[in-house]
Amino acid sequence: MILLRLISWPYVRKHLLRSILTTAGIALGVALLVGMRTANDSVLRSFNDTVDRIAGKAQLQVSAGDAGVAEDVLERVQAAPEVSAAAPVIETSVETGLAGQGKMLVLAVDMTGDRSLRNYDFDGGDEDVIDDPLVFLAQPDSLIITREFADRNGLRTGSKVSFETMEGARQFTVRGILKAGGMAAAFGGNLGIMDIYAAQQVFGRGRRFDRIDIGLAEGVSIEAGTAALQRALGGGYEIEPPSGRGKQFESLLRIYNTAVSISSLFSLFIGMFIIYNSFAIAVTQRRAEIGILRALGATRGQIRALFLGESAVAGLIGSTAGLGAGLAFARSLTGVTGRLMENIFGVPQNAQEVSLDPRFLVGALALGVVVSMIAAYIPARSAARVEPVQALQKGRYQVLGAGENRARRWAAAACVALGLACLWAGAYRPLAFAGYSLTVAAMLLLAPFLSLELARALRGPLRRFKPIEGSLAVDSLIQAPRRTSATVAALMLSLALVIGQGGVARASYESIRGWVDTTLNPDLFITATENIASRGFRFPASMIPEVTKLPAIEETQPVRTARVQFRGKPVMLVAIDMESLGRRVRRIVVAGNIEEMNRRSAAGQAVILAENLANLEHLGLGDMVEIPTPRGGLRLPVAGVIRDYSNQLGSIFLDRKVYIREFQDDTVDLFRVYLRPGVAPEEGRRQIIEGLGSRRRMFVLLNRDVRDYVLGLTNQWLGMTRIQVIVAVLVAVLGIVNTLTVSISDRRRELGVLRAVGGLRAQIRGAVWLEAAAIGAIGLVLGLSAGAVVLYYELQVIQRDVGGMPLAYIYPLGVAATLIPIILGAALAAAIVPAEAAVRSSLVEALEYE
Amino acid sequence: MIRLNGVSKQFDGKRKVVALDSVDLDVARGELVSIVGPSGSGKSTLLNLIGGLDRPSSGKIEIDGRDVASLSDDDLTRLRRDKIGFIFQFFNLLPSLTCVENVALPLHLKGLPRKEIESRARDLLELVQLGTRMDHLPDELSGGERQRVAIARALAFNPPILLADEPTGNLDTHTGAEILRLIHDLHDRLGATVLIVTHDSGVAQSCPRTVTLRDARIAGDARR
Ligand SMILES: Nc1ncnc2c1ncn2[C@@H]1O[C@H](COP(=O)(O)OP(=O)(O)O)[C@@H](O)[C@H]1O
Ligand SMILES: [Mg+2]
Repeated sequence: MILLRLISWPYVRKHLLRSILTTAGIALGVALLVGMRTANDSVLRSFNDTVDRIAGKAQLQVSAGDAGVAEDVLERVQAAPEVSAAAPVIETSVETGLAGQGKMLVLAVDMTGDRSLRNYDFDGGDEDVIDDPLVFLAQPDSLIITREFADRNGLRTGSKVSFETMEGARQFTVRGILKAGGMAAAFGGNLGIMDIYAAQQVFGRGRRFDRIDIGLAEGVSIEAGTAALQRALGGGYEIEPPSGRGKQFESLLRIYNTAVSISSLFSLFIGMFIIYNSFAIAVTQRRAEIGILRALGATRGQIRALFLGESAVAGLIGSTAGLGAGLAFARSLTGVTGRLMENIFGVPQNAQEVSLDPRFLVGALALGVVVSMIAAYIPARSAARVEPVQALQKGRYQVLGAGENRARRWAAAACVALGLACLWAGAYRPLAFAGYSLTVAAMLLLAPFLSLELARALRGPLRRFKPIEGSLAVDSLIQAPRRTSATVAALMLSLALVIGQGGVARASYESIRGWVDTTLNPDLFITATENIASRGFRFPASMIPEVTKLPAIEETQPVRTARVQFRGKPVMLVAIDMESLGRRVRRIVVAGNIEEMNRRSAAGQAVILAENLANLEHLGLGDMVEIPTPRGGLRLPVAGVIRDYSNQLGSIFLDRKVYIREFQDDTVDLFRVYLRPGVAPEEGRRQIIEGLGSRRRMFVLLNRDVRDYVLGLTNQWLGMTRIQVIVAVLVAVLGIVNTLTVSISDRRRELGVLRAVGGLRAQIRGAVWLEAAAIGAIGLVLGLSAGAVVLYYELQVIQRDVGGMPLAYIYPLGVAATLIPIILGAALAAAIVPAEAAVRSSLVEALEYE
Repeated sequence: MIRLNGVSKQFDGKRKVVALDSVDLDVARGELVSIVGPSGSGKSTLLNLIGGLDRPSSGKIEIDGRDVASLSDDDLTRLRRDKIGFIFQFFNLLPSLTCVENVALPLHLKGLPRKEIESRARDLLELVQLGTRMDHLPDELSGGERQRVAIARALAFNPPILLADEPTGNLDTHTGAEILRLIHDLHDRLGATVLIVTHDSGVAQSCPRTVTLRDARIAGDARR
C-alpha cells in the first residue's frame, strides 16, 4: 500500500517517540498474556511430559486419589482377562541434597513385572557393566538414575546417593544408569528408580501402592478395559488413561489461570485505549493532510483503509515485541510458577524448559493486531468522514460536540440501569458478568464528561496556586477533551483494577488470617515434609501412641488429607477425629448447628463441607455427598458448612474412623498437637524430637511457623496477581506521556508566544507539569471511585466462580493512599521529557505559521 | 539602541540556507524604520534576531548597549519581556484567554501584583481603543481588533523597542491602515524605537527610514 509508505511513514518518523509509546501499550498487554500463559503452560506441559514418559506403555492407571490402593487390588486387576500386564507404582519426590539439583522424582516399581510396561534402556558406559540392573533392584538400597543426572553430578555405578526417608537420611547405591531420552528425560532427568517394597517402607506407604499401571490385552479398547476393571474392582477407584492425571493437575491450575487471564486481558484492554487515544489525536492533527488527500481524489474507503492499515502495522509491531518480551518473561516465571504450584497443591514440579504453543502464540499475535484495529476503528471512521473543504480551513476540532456528549450520557445511564437490573436479577452467572461489563462500559462512557467537569473544578484552585501556569494547564485540558479523555479513561480503568485487586487481596488476606487464627490453634504440628501441602511422605499409624504418651502432650489429632475425585474435581478429603476437633476448634459456621454437626460427624454419620465447596457445587445441609472409595463408595449427608481456606477447590471433613474403614489407609500426614498447660512450645518440640526424631524423618513446626508459612504463601499467591498492577500503572504512565507529548506539539505555537512575551523556562515547565499533574489527579479521582465499584464486582465473581469464598467488602484505603503519590509522581516524571521539549524547541519555528 | 555588526544567520537543514549575510545595521533610539524586500530575503530572520527569539550564527548584536550573545536564555527572556514588544502577522493570541488576560500575560509572567496587572491591562486596551471588548475571547473579535489586542500586549511594559513583522499582512487594506496609524501614533506618543517589516510600499513610505533587504544582504538604507 503506497499510501502507507508515502503518508504514514513520514508521520511516524516525525512522531517517533509517540509511535513507540502507542505500540508499547499493546506490547505490554501481549507480553503479560504470553508470559503468564506460557509459564503456566510450561508447568503443565512439563508435568504431562513426565507423566507420559513414566507411564511407558501403560494404557490405564488404577488409583484411589491420594489414599492409594491396597496390595490385594493388584491380584484382582491381574486376574482380569482384559489385562495383559499390571505393575504397581509408588511415586514421590525427594530433596537430593546435591547442590543445584533440587528435587528428584522417585519412581518405585516391582522389577519382576515392570519391564512389560516400561523400557529400561541401560547405559553400559565405561564402568563394569552389570548384566541386568533390574535384578539388583531387589536389594532395598538400590537406585537407578539417568545418564544426565549421573553426568551432572559425577556419579557412576556404585556411587552413593543419600536422601531423606521416613527413617531419616538413607544412603542408596547407584546400580544402574538409564540411557538418555525416553523415560530418562522425565522430570528434567532428575529421575530415580527403586524397588517398590523398599519404597513402601521408606516413604511410609504401609502395605499400599500409589497406583497400578495397566497394559491391556491385544484388541481390548480403552473403554472396554475401563469397563472390565470397573466390574472387577467395584466402584471407588479411578480408572483413567495416564493423561487423566494431567487433567487433574490442570483443574488445580485453573483457578490460577483464570486470575492470570483476566488480568492480562485487562491490560490489553488498557493498551487498546492508548491506541485509540493516539489515533484519535493523529486524525485531528492530520486533518489538513486528510483534506488534501481527499481533494486529490482519495475515497473515504481509502482514507479509512489508510488508518486501519496503520493500526494493523502498529498492532503487529506491538504484538511482536510483546511476544518477545513475554517469552523472556515466561522464562523467568516458569520456575516461580512451578514452585508456587508445588507449595500450594503439593504436586512435585520440575519445570525448567519453556514450552511454546505455536497456536497460542499466533493467536496472541493476532489478538494484538485485532485489538489495535478495533481501537483505531472509530478514529479511522471519523477520518473518513472529513470533508475536504472544512479540513483545509483553520478551526478547532478538539471540542466534543454537545450532541455527542449528550448521547454518551444517555448511553451511560442506560448501561447503569441495565447493570443494576442485572445485579438485582442476581444469581444467574452470565447476568452477573453482563452487569460487570455494563458498569465498566458506563464508567468509560462517562469518563470524558466527568474529566471535563473535574478539569473545570480544578481551574479555580490551580489559578489561585499559579495564575498563568495553572490556567494554561487546565485550559489545555478543557479545550481538548479528546486529547485527554482516553488517557484519563485508561488511567481510570487501570487504577480501578488496582483498587479491585488490592481490595480482593486485602479481603482474602484478612479472611485467611481470621481462619488461621481460629483453626490453626494447635501448639505444634508434626509433618513428614517441610511443605505442609505435600503428601509425598506419610507417618504410620503406629506413631500415634508414641506421640500421645509424651508427657508434655495433652492431646494430639492425627490428620490424613487425601485428594479424591469428587464430581470430577480433585477435592481434599480431610480425615480427623471430629469429636476432638469440635472440642478444640471453634469453627466459623456458615450453615447448620455447630453441636449437631460435631455430634453427627463424630459418630461417622455425616460429613462437614468447606464453604467454598458447598458454594461451587451448590450443596447444602442434608444433601447427600458421594465419595468414591475402594469399598464401593461412601454416601453421607452434609451436617454442616464451615468456613475453611485449606484448599482452593474445597474440602470435605470426615471422621478418621470412617476414612480408615473406607479406604483401608491408616497413615497420617500431619499431627496437630496440643500441649499441657504451662508447657512452652519449644519444650514440647524438644520432647517430640528426642522421643521420636532420631529414628524418623519428621518436622516439628511451632504454631507461629505454620501461621507465617500459610500467610506467606497467601501473600506469594496474591503477589503473582500483583504483577499486572505494575503493568497497569506502567500503561497509564505511557498514556500520560503520550497525551502530554501531543498536547505540547499541539500547543507549540501557544507556548512559543508565551516564551516570546517573556515566559521564563521555569514557567513553561510549570505549565506542562501542572497539566500532567491535573491529568493524574483527575485520573485518580475517577479511578479511585471506579475502583469501589470494580471491587464489588470482583468480589462477586470470585465468590461465584473462582473460590466460592465470600469475602468482606473493605475499600483498600492503604492502597489508595499509596497510589496517590505514585500516580502524581509518575505523571510528573512523564512530564519531564515533554516539558523539556517545550522549553528547548526553537522559538522561531514555534511562532511560524504553518 | 540597536546595533548589528556583521551579523549572519545560516540554517543548516537538508540544504544550507544563508538567511542573513554579514549585516550591519544601526538604529537609534526613537527611530521608526520600515524593512522591505522580496519574500525570503531575510526580513523576518533579521527581526527575530533583534528580538532575541533566535541567536545569530556569527556577528554581534547589541540591544540597549548589552551584547545579546553574552546573555543566558532566561536573561534573554527577561530582556525580551522588559525591553521589546512583538507584533506578529498572525496575532498569536492565546485563544483560551480573554483580551484582558492576553494583555495581562506578560505582566503575570513578571509576577506583578494582581491589582496593578488588572488596571494596567485595562489601560492598555483603552489605549488601543478596545475598552469595550475587555472580556471577549479572541475568537469573537475581528482581525483588526485582534491585532490591536496583540499590540496592547506588546506595550505591556512600555518597551523601548517595538518589533512588528508584517502587522498588516493578514488584514484588509482599510483595517491595515488603521493599525498602521495606531503604530505611528504610539511611536509618537511613547517615543519607542519601532521596526516594521512590510510588503506594502505605502507602509514603507510612511516611515522616515526604510531598509531594503535583498538576497540576505542590505541593499538599501534610505531616509527621507
Ligand atoms: N527555520 C528555518 N529553517 C530553514 N530555513 C529558514 C528558516 N527560517 C527561514 N529560513 C530561510 O531563510 C530565508 C529567509 O527567510 P525569512 O527571513 O523568513 O524571509 P522573509 O521574512 O524576508 O520572507 C528563506 O530562504 C527561508 O527559507
Ligand atoms: Mg517573513
